[in-house]
Amino acid sequence: MAQNVTNVAQTEEVTSTRRVIAASSVGTLIEWYDFYIFGSLAKIISEQFFPKDNPTAALLATLATFAAGFVVRPFGALFFGRLGDLIGRKYTFLVTLVIMGGSTFAIGLVPGFKTIGFAAPAIVFVLRLLQGLALGGEYGGAATYVAEHSPHDKRGFWTSWIQTTATFGLFISLGVILIVRQTLGLEVFNDWGWRIPFILSVFLVAISVYIRMKMSESPLFAKLKKEGKTSANPLAESFQKKDNLKMVLLALLGATAGQGVVWYTGQFYALSFLQNACNVEFVQSNIIISIALIIGTPFFILFGSLSDKIGRKYIMMAGMIIAVVAYRPIYTMMYQEANLKTKQEVVEKTVVKTKAEVKGADSLLTSVTTKEFADGTKYKETVKKKFPVDPEKKAAMPKDKLKPETKKEVTLSQNSFNKMVGFVLIQVIFVTMVYGPIAAFLVELFPTRIRYTSMSLPYHIGNGVFGGLVPLISTRLVEFTRPAPGAPPADPLFGLWYPIIIAGVSFVIGMLYISNKTNNVDEE
Amino acid sequence: MSVIKRIFGLLWTAMGVGIIPFIVMRAMQEIGEKPTEENWIFWSIVIVVLMPIIAFSLIAFGVFALKGEYNSVA
Repeated sequence: MAQNVTNVAQTEEVTSTRRVIAASSVGTLIEWYDFYIFGSLAKIISEQFFPKDNPTAALLATLATFAAGFVVRPFGALFFGRLGDLIGRKYTFLVTLVIMGGSTFAIGLVPGFKTIGFAAPAIVFVLRLLQGLALGGEYGGAATYVAEHSPHDKRGFWTSWIQTTATFGLFISLGVILIVRQTLGLEVFNDWGWRIPFILSVFLVAISVYIRMKMSESPLFAKLKKEGKTSANPLAESFQKKDNLKMVLLALLGATAGQGVVWYTGQFYALSFLQNACNVEFVQSNIIISIALIIGTPFFILFGSLSDKIGRKYIMMAGMIIAVVAYRPIYTMMYQEANLKTKQEVVEKTVVKTKAEVKGADSLLTSVTTKEFADGTKYKETVKKKFPVDPEKKAAMPKDKLKPETKKEVTLSQNSFNKMVGFVLIQVIFVTMVYGPIAAFLVELFPTRIRYTSMSLPYHIGNGVFGGLVPLISTRLVEFTRPAPGAPPADPLFGLWYPIIIAGVSFVIGMLYISNKTNNVDEE
Repeated sequence: MSVIKRIFGLLWTAMGVGIIPFIVMRAMQEIGEKPTEENWIFWSIVIVVLMPIIAFSLIAFGVFALKGEYNSVA
């Protein structure tokens, strides 16, 4: 009889924990999905809302891209973190979910620049800032909420489910975009079909809000509140008290900065490198990343769970140092795998097609060259040259405006495709090593009364600023090696020095100063 | 170990202080050579967002490490 009661109690506990994890993870997953579709559709959004010939709109585009990641995310972390430590975790991350879903849905409905003019980029800019704000508040809440429900010896395992959401969110966003694009066709997708992934968000958010509404407050926070021990000023307590500030700095420099650059390199820079340095065709490059992400995702759980047994520190540090050492060899192999100079061309299969047409007052010359290689790789180069029909106008045009637009697309052979998936997968494994245990590590670093505020800021500076800058800084570093404008870069891998240096410094700091001991979150 | 932590504290502080003139001079040189809009945006982001975070956090962290604040952590 006593055994039956124990079994029932254990079953109820497992069901309850699963519900907590599911409710938190689904919401966080949707938030990441919402955040990523804007980035993945940046080119179309730019054409619809931020025309390049309008300088103000172009500036807003830049700000929307960067501000949401750099400025607003840490600000959201502070704002919602404070709220979460004052009124509770449950209601705070419910609010962030509604803000994120609402803004994403609204982006999908905003008329384009051609219809409402300057109001279009202004509205999208504000909505994008709201997205960044909501994301800044969401993660800390979800991680804290799950951690405060988890048993001490399984915290790494339970919180690692939250860690899968960022990668899974990116996978779903890429998947939804590809499916909608393939179903509607490129023209319709570019015209209005791109709105579907945004509008879809409202249904996902509605389901998630319903699930979260049914959840109860974190037991540790509820106890603290009942006893009147919650912080009156979480911001001051987090960042003005030396004992806590030093841990915030340690979390940032010894963990999240390195983790952020490894994360962004493995998931975003890899995609950008495939598309821009290796010229891999758009759909194929996205499929490579998607497959690597889906195979790699279970490793978050594996490393989160392992961190419960051997400690968080060594897994995260191993991920960082292996990434530091392996990045250049991996990217060299990726570059070589798509390098046409190393492949044998089947000359008789080369086809060149040219087309000349008049569009209004302009002439458009299009030349398409397709090549095939012995290993099955295909190459397509499209050169478009546009100039005024009137020779006088043509002569008066600046030279840079007459420069032809060239698009190179490499479709890899099956063998090269598989290898590329492998190269990206290795990087995703690094991501899972540094990211899988980090939620448990962060929540254990700070006391319950200021946990939401204290852990959110280093997380979002590490990921939003250090990590978020990887594409910008790495691309820029490669530009430094270009001997002349338009010439190929002398070292296409030079951009890797940014993540290598940041992760290297983080590794040294983490090894020296971070403890491998797992702290109990309810010890106050 | 405590001594190593303190010595490295000096290194972090020096890195935090040194990074400011390094980035500012590099930005001035780059913008001076090519005053394009792209250059301005890039260096503005680095100077306004990234540099203060790196400099402040390294200096503060280094000072804490120098004072032995992290000796009892690991």
